[in-house]
Amino acid sequence: MKLRLHTTPEVPLEAEVISPDALQGLSESEAALLPIYHGNRKVGLGEFFEISGRVDESEGVVEVEGDLSRVKLIGHSMSAGRLVIHGSVGAHLGASMKGGEIHVSGDAADWVGREMSGGRIVIQGNAGHMVGSAVRGSSAGVQGGEIIIHGNALNEVGNGMRRGLIAVGGNTHDFTGVNMLAGTIVVLGRLGMRPGAGMVRGSIVAMERTECLPTFTYNSTIQPDFIRFYLFHLRKLGMSIKDEFINGQYERWSGDSLELNKGEILMYAG
Amino acid sequence: MSNNTSVVKNAVCTFCGCVCDDMELTVDLDEKRITKAKNACVLGRAWFYEHKIENYPVALIDGKEASLEEAVDEAARILVNAKFPAIYGLSDTTCEAQKEAVAIADYINGNIDTTTSVCHGPTGMAFQGVGESTASLGEIKNRADFVMYWGGNPAEAHPRHFQRYAVSPKGLHIPNGKEDRTIVMVDVRTTQSASVADIFLKVKPGRDFELLWALRALVKGAALDSSVEETTGIPLDTMKDLVERMKSCQFGVIFFGMGLTMTRGRHFNAGALLALATDLNDYTHFVALPTRGHGNVTGADNVVSWQTGYPFGISFNRGYPRFNPGEFTTADVLARGEIDALCVIASDPGSNFSKKAIEHLRAIPVITLDPKPTVTSQLARVAFTTATYGINVRGTVYRMDNVPLTTRPAFESPFPSDQDVLSAIKERVCELRGLKHASNRMTRQTAKVAV
Repeated sequence: MKLRLHTTPEVPLEAEVISPDALQGLSESEAALLPIYHGNRKVGLGEFFEISGRVDESEGVVEVEGDLSRVKLIGHSMSAGRLVIHGSVGAHLGASMKGGEIHVSGDAADWVGREMSGGRIVIQGNAGHMVGSAVRGSSAGVQGGEIIIHGNALNEVGNGMRRGLIAVGGNTHDFTGVNMLAGTIVVLGRLGMRPGAGMVRGSIVAMERTECLPTFTYNSTIQPDFIRFYLFHLRKLGMSIKDEFINGQYERWSGDSLELNKGEILMYAG
Repeated sequence: MSNNTSVVKNAVCTFCGCVCDDMELTVDLDEKRITKAKNACVLGRAWFYEHKIENYPVALIDGKEASLEEAVDEAARILVNAKFPAIYGLSDTTCEAQKEAVAIADYINGNIDTTTSVCHGPTGMAFQGVGESTASLGEIKNRADFVMYWGGNPAEAHPRHFQRYAVSPKGLHIPNGKEDRTIVMVDVRTTQSASVADIFLKVKPGRDFELLWALRALVKGAALDSSVEETTGIPLDTMKDLVERMKSCQFGVIFFGMGLTMTRGRHFNAGALLALATDLNDYTHFVALPTRGHGNVTGADNVVSWQTGYPFGISFNRGYPRFNPGEFTTADVLARGEIDALCVIASDPGSNFSKKAIEHLRAIPVITLDPKPTVTSQLARVAFTTATYGINVRGTVYRMDNVPLTTRPAFESPFPSDQDVLSAIKERVCELRGLKHASNRMTRQTAKVAV
């Protein structure tokens, strides 16, 4: 099935029905009636999107085109299939996602894959704040799955992350892996200030050196096997990984000593 | 000055979050102005003395004078027709008016947000994540022997805070006032407030989080890297000494201001400070309180919380409240050009929001309620002149420690109160939307009980 945004929304749209789960088995006219929110007005999907074809049963592919930067909640709670977005997308992409794959050719706004538990999200461009984060007031963020950002990401990547993988091709801003419970964050560029603040367990890997909080202590310089496995995996997914990162040594800092001190920040050391 | 004067004892000053309730106001009833404000601080005196009843029109539509009814109708139509309306401000009005604003947001399926989102919003978020150990200012006055101010300048922003609540007053268990207290000030520069401090810590700008984290590590006996001295600009021995004093006090309090909540790290800074207070409860009684700015911003948090479950940054677009600072907070929805109508109560975003936000403010219909013309009211489609809360309007306000107080107005204003205008807008919104409004519902419920 293909969806093309034919009318630019005056105010943000909330369209969690744009997901293979919700569109599976529907005809074009049935899909056009699925409810979305245009601000505070409930309207049909067809009021903003031109819909063509059906979701094929084997692959479950849905393609979406147009400037979707004001369309929120695409792929919400998605459990299977493939959502391909040509262009940039609004907030809460793949929120609470359970399975399947989302691919975005442009940028994504805040809250990509918040509290997801499975599946994979790939953003070719940049992402906003709160990638793979817990919602405000909740302590656990990503419970599983993978988020791959080829560009940069802003604050609080993986806030409260419990399991899974988040990879960022560029840099992140402040508080990467804040309050992390477990899981892995790989940043091919530089971490912002205060990475891993309040982290309990989990690994944050970065290819550029960053100042750690005073509650992190340097342990040793090592070459952990798991980093090689992760980097090979990311290379397979299309991320550009230099050979020296795969074969290199990493400084290991453990923290946060205010919590269990069982988390680690690994920084490439040549 | 005429001879027709009256004296209002125990009047409440609603200028700042201290909400001092020991004012003695002398009022010239003919000239309708306050001639003496005994006990008021420099800010309070300006608040009372400069208040005059001006000859403004009660309402303007597109800059032209209009009747109250016409303006109420126009405001209600704007809000009902909007697909993404927002209501903002509310920190300088009564709780009764704030309640009406929340009801309107609910009826129009719009956003409700207060000036908290641009001052102690991060504190509200930190309360959710970390929790709050708190006390009333009275308890602090009577018991606190360790008082710390972090990222605030009360000498200039809350002039009576030292004298009335936390530094110099004699209390039940603090018989000698300041002599019995240790006063600590943490700031990035030496302010006027620094002179009262026994210990002044000049932290490097933007390094509050690191310092708080280091203090937490010392309290908990956790590993701490010595690089912290260089990072924060505070010697480790000073930190250790401070922590010992904190752990050994009888009752400690940390007041914190926007120097902490609005600098890099925001809600994590506030969270780190609240967590430090919590950690210290392993050794002694310790509390932390935000020093709130506007007279009833604490009331706004309370009212919005008890009505929606969240303190600020709330959307009702789906018919139930959803909270997400950054997504639904007014400065952000304006800067992203998302909302299509805005109602501002007792605030002036047109003069202090970002350039992008103000550009969008100029492009959409705006409704304002304010006692005086503001930059925002001059951009507004509908501008109401309302009576000043506290001075002219009776109602409930909350002090910064969440203690509610009833105002004692000095004299009457010819203008309607915010509550009157908002209530009228609410009723008109309900008529336009074909809804039964709250007062009808209340009548039905009362009738049931009577049967």
